[in-house]
Amino acid sequence: MGAAMAKSGRVQVNSQLLVLIGILAFICLVFTFTTQSFLTVENLGNLVRSSAFVIVTGAGVTLLMISGNIDLSVGSVLALASCVYAFAAKTGMPVELAALLGALSGLAVGVINALTAVRWKVTPFIATLGTMYAVRGFVLIISDAKTVRGGLPPNFTFLDMTHLGPIPLAFFIVLVVILVFYAIEKKALLGKYSFAIGGNKTAAVLSGINADAVLIKLYLIVGFLAGLSGVMMCSRLAVGDQNVGVRFEFDVIIAVILGGTSLAGGKGSIIGMIVGALIVQVIGNGLNMLNVLSFWQSVIKGVLLVLAVVLNQALVRTKGR
Amino acid sequence: MAETLIEIQGLTKNFPGVMALRDVSFSIARNTVHCIVGENGAGKSTLIKILTGAQRKTSGSVTYNGKDWDPRSTGEAMKAGMSVLFQELNVVDQLTVEQNLTLGKEKSRFGFERRNEAQFALTVEALRSLDPGIGLQERVGNLSVAQRQVIEIAKAISSNSDLIVMDEPTAAISDEEVKRLFAIIRQLHERNVTVIYITHRLTEIFDIGDIVTVLRDGQMIETRSVRELSASCSDDEVEACSELIRMMLGKVVAERYVPREPPSGDPILEFSNVSSAKLKDVSFELRRGEILGFYGLVGAGKTEIARAIYGLDAITGTMRVKGRPRVFKNPRAAISAGIAMVPEERRTEGLLTKLTIRENITIMDMKPIKRFGFLSRVKERQLARSFIERVRIATTGEEQNVAKLSGGNQQKVVLSKCLNAASSILLLDEPTRGIDVGAKEEIHSLIRQLADGGAGIIVFSSELPEILNLCDRIVLLYNGSVRKTLKNGAEMDSHLIMQIVTDSTGSDARAQAG
Amino acid sequence: MTDRPALALRTRSSANLDPQKIIMVGILMLIVVAFTMATPKFLTYVNLVNVFMNIALILLTGSAATLLMIAGNFDLSVGSVVAFTGVMHALMSKYGVPTNISILLAALIGSLCGLINGTLVTRLKITPVIATLGMMYVARGGAFLVARADGGANIASGLPPDFQALGRATVGPVPIPLLLVALIVVIFAVIQNRTSFGRYAYAIGGNPVCAALSGVRSSRVVTILYVITGLLTGLSGAIFVSRIGTGVPRIGNGFEFDVIIAIVLGGTSIYGGIGSVTGTVIGALIVGFVANGLNLLDVQAFYQTVIKGFILVAAILLNRVIKEKVE
Repeated sequence: MGAAMAKSGRVQVNSQLLVLIGILAFICLVFTFTTQSFLTVENLGNLVRSSAFVIVTGAGVTLLMISGNIDLSVGSVLALASCVYAFAAKTGMPVELAALLGALSGLAVGVINALTAVRWKVTPFIATLGTMYAVRGFVLIISDAKTVRGGLPPNFTFLDMTHLGPIPLAFFIVLVVILVFYAIEKKALLGKYSFAIGGNKTAAVLSGINADAVLIKLYLIVGFLAGLSGVMMCSRLAVGDQNVGVRFEFDVIIAVILGGTSLAGGKGSIIGMIVGALIVQVIGNGLNMLNVLSFWQSVIKGVLLVLAVVLNQALVRTKGR
Repeated sequence: MAETLIEIQGLTKNFPGVMALRDVSFSIARNTVHCIVGENGAGKSTLIKILTGAQRKTSGSVTYNGKDWDPRSTGEAMKAGMSVLFQELNVVDQLTVEQNLTLGKEKSRFGFERRNEAQFALTVEALRSLDPGIGLQERVGNLSVAQRQVIEIAKAISSNSDLIVMDEPTAAISDEEVKRLFAIIRQLHERNVTVIYITHRLTEIFDIGDIVTVLRDGQMIETRSVRELSASCSDDEVEACSELIRMMLGKVVAERYVPREPPSGDPILEFSNVSSAKLKDVSFELRRGEILGFYGLVGAGKTEIARAIYGLDAITGTMRVKGRPRVFKNPRAAISAGIAMVPEERRTEGLLTKLTIRENITIMDMKPIKRFGFLSRVKERQLARSFIERVRIATTGEEQNVAKLSGGNQQKVVLSKCLNAASSILLLDEPTRGIDVGAKEEIHSLIRQLADGGAGIIVFSSELPEILNLCDRIVLLYNGSVRKTLKNGAEMDSHLIMQIVTDSTGSDARAQAG
Repeated sequence: MTDRPALALRTRSSANLDPQKIIMVGILMLIVVAFTMATPKFLTYVNLVNVFMNIALILLTGSAATLLMIAGNFDLSVGSVVAFTGVMHALMSKYGVPTNISILLAALIGSLCGLINGTLVTRLKITPVIATLGMMYVARGGAFLVARADGGANIASGLPPDFQALGRATVGPVPIPLLLVALIVVIFAVIQNRTSFGRYAYAIGGNPVCAALSGVRSSRVVTILYVITGLLTGLSGAIFVSRIGTGVPRIGNGFEFDVIIAIVLGGTSIYGGIGSVTGTVIGALIVGFVANGLNLLDVQAFYQTVIKGFILVAAILLNRVIKEKVE
């Protein structure tokens, strides 16, 4: 093998991150020159707002995928939390409480996922696929397939309306989530163990790590975050839309993988996921401005996803591991 | 007087049909480097697995630190102060050195890792003393094999292990790195750590060992002080190794070998100066009706040669099949040219474990059972049954799932698969590993029959008796190159063979063998 | 060896006596009996034809997708490819391509999508989840774009009069699509049991290393399976749009999961190596009958989604339990 290169793990991930940021910057530049209003405060604000949901859920999903697992139910959870929040708000309880209930409904789904995927050892892909279906159906049932519209309290959209300075509350939530999960990824045991389980499960277990306990925590976290995203989305739309979140899970997965997380686990980063989410949003946003049909976005998303993985694998191969 | 760390009394381990350990008794003294040697199948790994909780013993007793020791899991052994360094290193490549060293032992506050300063200082000190060149923040995946070993050792030290077991640690590292490893082992001695060292490279025992235990066929033959052994051979290392070999082999009688004169003619398979990632300038010939054996230690290159022939690895040099130079891009091409391989790992490489005997036998070549392009159930059944009878597979029928068969019968299925492909050249990689004596015999006689029928057969094995009983000629390998090619016969010197493959013949013999 | 009943000893992969299948057939019969007793509308010719038409497309794609899953892969793009090929079929028919040729071309387009999937998976070594997910996005977007390019959300006008023939035509009392599906299922059952190709699929999914060492050309087999899946999906797309009479790019949403559920319910393992096409038929029938029966009983449609979810997880657990019992 020869002498080791004096490159730490951080540096290696960072080079991939730099490439990503470069791509993002490049795309932004292209759109700045080809449209009038891309680089305006209003537009950038919109961008950030629409990426919020993917980023918040993605923070948890990144860790989960780093550990080598997956969760396909987040889209359905989005819808569930939306409706729960709307219903709860209708009953007259304080909106903050209603919002908490919404997020907790996501946590409940996380419990189901933890049970089937970890305890009963059903393969995560299928287990969360099942939850996805079941929850989606459940949402349709409780909402009677109708958007929850009437009877909502005036401060229903408090997450978007309440401002601290010029910045809405929702933005702070996203910021807090990013900071917390970045810290977890880099400094907390949960983050380290996720990398260990995804990278070399045998070694992790031999070192005394309780892999099941870690995975259960991760599924609960993802459920909660998806619930939170649902509440945020509901607040933004000002209605409890039971149709939201279809294909949301794939948007999240694309952002996570674009950001450098491998499906097999063991590597990834939250910052990368954020850049990945932004890239997808920016492309959508810019193409909208150029009056390109939104359907092209679907095509581009698909190509992007495959390219991201190919790039990922090529990088792994050239590093010789 | 060194106190005893581990006391083994009458240890026996039975597997169905095989007695892996038979009434083994010896003791391991504290703070020594205790080497364990023996051929493949002698019982080394079973012994270690029982000591470290990966297997349960059948009978006998083990005490550890004076107390009864019967662990149910490797976790239990680890908590009690045992660390094992396997060949597949248990480090997480994506984490840094520091993170690996503290994995599973972190102190935390609110879930965030808090550095346990005292523990950390110990770990750093351990690491520095072993190899100051490793940076704490380096990603483990970027380090060499030797360095990753060092990390595992450092981890063991810092968790205050009393005992570190090293299983063939020098198999994958360079000579320089071996020297450093030995220096580290000497350091471990100073730290009052006991080391169990398993190796095939006999010279290493004299470099690093204090006591050596020789196992053979599941029994403990001798446990002796290395110094005493050396002295009894006038401190001549070659002599001393010979003595060890004598203990390892016992009386090796190639009583079942019947000399066979291969039909003279052109070779059916030829290697001329073939090199690959692991192989160095290998040349040999195989004739029709001949059984050629490749013998060497773990890592000598046996499987690599099989892979090179079979089209799995890229090679430089020339390979000739039936006189024509050939390059196989994949196994299919090799099979079409008449070469079939029985792989080393039965369960993962040789068998389709979810399918039946019938389906396994026919997978390599389906032409015999086709009718009008479709598979004929009738023909397939007939074919399977004829093989079951011919090769004597003990089964309820061709519809039985192969996973349920015994090791010997499974191997017969794999052989049948290759025979069905009507190969003129058969590659058998460890053909009777883990198989009971009865089935071993049957398979050996089958191999002889096949050779008598004109097939060219290559046997790759790390069991010397097998090689001596079966093969007409024997190629001895060490570290990827051919050391010597011998013709088998009544005067076969198994001693010399062992010396050559353990590289303990001394400098002149090495130069001679080239 | 001991005399034990055939069920316990023999876990034949391609056998018709696979324990899970027997249980599933039992469940199917229970369902049929239950619904027959619950409502007189269930066991009528019209209703049965309805059910079969509903599951026909799942079985059309599912036959090939079963072999694909047996070989250790799967295809998440089939729903979107149905939409894309459907819209293309409508487009081509609208612009003068004879309907029959257009159907064939739709199948061809589906095969191309399958070829891309297969190449991504076998040559670029991209995991099937990602590769087919990418195709899913591209095909879905493509479907909408094509419809848009034609000038509207759907391609509804200007279609030739025989456009709906495929979806509505019958031979005697039996609709053509059903005949087609029956034929395809039989063909795949034959491929699975009686061809080396089918055997290779089992080998690749069960022990890929052994398969490679035994000379099986895995890349080729897997790619061909993807192409065939694409071809049949293209056909499904053509049938779908001809049934509704319009080129709608929105169709096929969730189709891929319906296919996977039918396959898994039928005893095929998602890890590969075990399974059968006849099992998929049973699985599709169960899902179809449950949906149909609940409809007849005026149970709300959304319950079906919930039930689908439970069925899926239950199927896997059942699969695992049976496997453990047999071992």
